[in-house]
Amino acid sequence: MLRNAQLWGGLFWLAFGLFIAFQGYELGLGQAREPGSGFAIFWLGLMMAAFATSIVFSAIKNGSEDIASLWRDTRWPKVLLIIVMLLVFGFLFETIGFVICSLVLLLVLMRVVDPVPWPTALLVSFGATFGMWYCLNKLLMIQLPNGWLSPWLG
Amino acid sequence: MEILSALGHGFAVALQPINLMACFFGVFIGTLVGVLPGIGPVSAMALLLPVTLSGSPEAGIIMMAGIYYGSMYGGSTTSILVNIPGEAASVITCLDGHQMAKNGRAGPALGIAAIGSFVAGTFAIVALMLVAPWLAKFAIAFGPPEYFSLMVLGLTVLAFLTQGSMAKSLLMACVGVTLGLVGIDQITAAPRLTFDRLELLDGVGLIPVVMGLFGVAEILANIERSVQREVVSARIGSLWPTLQDWAYSKWAIARGTILGFFLGILPGGGAVISSFASYALERRLSKRPEMFGKGAIEGVAGPEAANNSAAGGAFIPLLTLGIPPNVVMALLLGAFIIHGIQPGPLLITQNPGIFWGIVASMYIGNIMLLILNFPLIGMWVQVLKVPYKLLFPLILMFCIVGVFSSGSAVFDVFVMTVFGLIGYLMRKFGYEPAPLVLAFVLGPMVENNLRKSLILSQGDFSVFIERPISLACLIVAAAMILAPLLPVLRAKREAVALDQE
Repeated sequence: MLRNAQLWGGLFWLAFGLFIAFQGYELGLGQAREPGSGFAIFWLGLMMAAFATSIVFSAIKNGSEDIASLWRDTRWPKVLLIIVMLLVFGFLFETIGFVICSLVLLLVLMRVVDPVPWPTALLVSFGATFGMWYCLNKLLMIQLPNGWLSPWLG
Repeated sequence: MEILSALGHGFAVALQPINLMACFFGVFIGTLVGVLPGIGPVSAMALLLPVTLSGSPEAGIIMMAGIYYGSMYGGSTTSILVNIPGEAASVITCLDGHQMAKNGRAGPALGIAAIGSFVAGTFAIVALMLVAPWLAKFAIAFGPPEYFSLMVLGLTVLAFLTQGSMAKSLLMACVGVTLGLVGIDQITAAPRLTFDRLELLDGVGLIPVVMGLFGVAEILANIERSVQREVVSARIGSLWPTLQDWAYSKWAIARGTILGFFLGILPGGGAVISSFASYALERRLSKRPEMFGKGAIEGVAGPEAANNSAAGGAFIPLLTLGIPPNVVMALLLGAFIIHGIQPGPLLITQNPGIFWGIVASMYIGNIMLLILNFPLIGMWVQVLKVPYKLLFPLILMFCIVGVFSSGSAVFDVFVMTVFGLIGYLMRKFGYEPAPLVLAFVLGPMVENNLRKSLILSQGDFSVFIERPISLACLIVAAAMILAPLLPVLRAKREAVALDQE
């Protein structure tokens, strides 16, 4: 029972629905003739809780797959690595700049996640990074952070 | 006569060099994303939405529309040659299209898919041209209760037709509406669900959410499994179907075209549903049902015609009512809003250049697509051979750049990452992202029309059942919510879901 994947999914959404309903209540429900800011949010929260409850009951009644089985025989560490890389990219993007961050991200993805030969990885990383930078900065006039390369990229 | 004159005006708009370029770029990108597994029209449109800001509204919307119907053409190529659908509407084409390719008949399969798509696409444009102005006049009489009920119906239909548990789909729709309400309340100006984050005062961005749920989540799901693609290596040969093929396909194309168009108009319906429905219909009507799944050409012709016709039909609710019937149209609605244009009953009278320009560009785009998909099929086969391990880092990079350039905010990159993770987990636990995204776009409109209705009726909820259109929508929506409780209807729904799997 405690490893039932759908049960945990349902419980998560039940808690989320109740949280949303509480937030709606806090915002103020108003009256039917003049609904407040929290009116729709409160009822949406309750509806979420109701649907989640039906999922929980269904999971208890019918059972479901083991939560660990969802990741069995998968390459989940690679998924985790991509998420971490994206978060690191976000944190360093403005400080270090688009070019360096993108180069590192592409190289890591192409060498660590699903390895391709070094020459291909380097060619694609440099080509894509500078190609995108040129298109966005020069052609579409979209400003990307230059970071550490500001003196050279202008 | 009036329609022909308006269409002439549309062609004058669509044939301007910049709009012609936008149309070509749109259908080219559409075909490309249709061909490439791992990126669909939703991600491509979200990615290119910021690019439309730099041009005229006509050019931007023509390009976005081109991506959508272009992807319907391109999707069949991967289904036939690789047995992996380029996008969801081409899933069913794998069954017989790939079998034909394995039997050495890839050419006729690709040919009939392109011809069926062209015929259906052209029919849908003509029908759009005739139906939309009439529906727009009818929709002027719609008030907030009708709009509210129609949107509730759209979300319910989508939840009903989405595979898997209906409770999960409805739950996702509720989450989507709630997400759409984050930010400043339009009526009281109170911040809602912002948790003191300044970045959330304007709400959660559509582009980061869509890129996360569809772009990043798709990559994570693909990376998790090591999938080898095998492109049919035999010579494709002549694309022109034989006389026998024509005999099998002509009525399948006709039926798929009409079925697809009407399913495309329905809120919540669309290209995916129509292709499955067309396949089921052809199998039922066929004199040789045993050939289905073994390379029946009508199993390619019907669904391909249906999904292209549905793509055209889906423009009707958006352009005439301002209600997107599916996620792709929700993004197109985003493109309209970015340019300060509100699609709806008044679009045709207030912005005839845009409406008729889109219609005319679709005629032109269909011809461009026929050229791109017939003589240039070899080029798309080469594109298919690019390994996914080279493709996914680039797609991820495009996602980041697209999201950042839409708002010049790193916060959006974090939002995309979080929604990428959420989307990945949703797939794992069997929750569909489509109802969430459609509800996210419709959320503010749903709430706005609900509140307006209640204010106008002095808090009387019967306003929703006193008006016939609103009542009809709510009855259908209620029937769909209650359907899983009835064994017969539940079996029907599960059959559809099973077919989709």
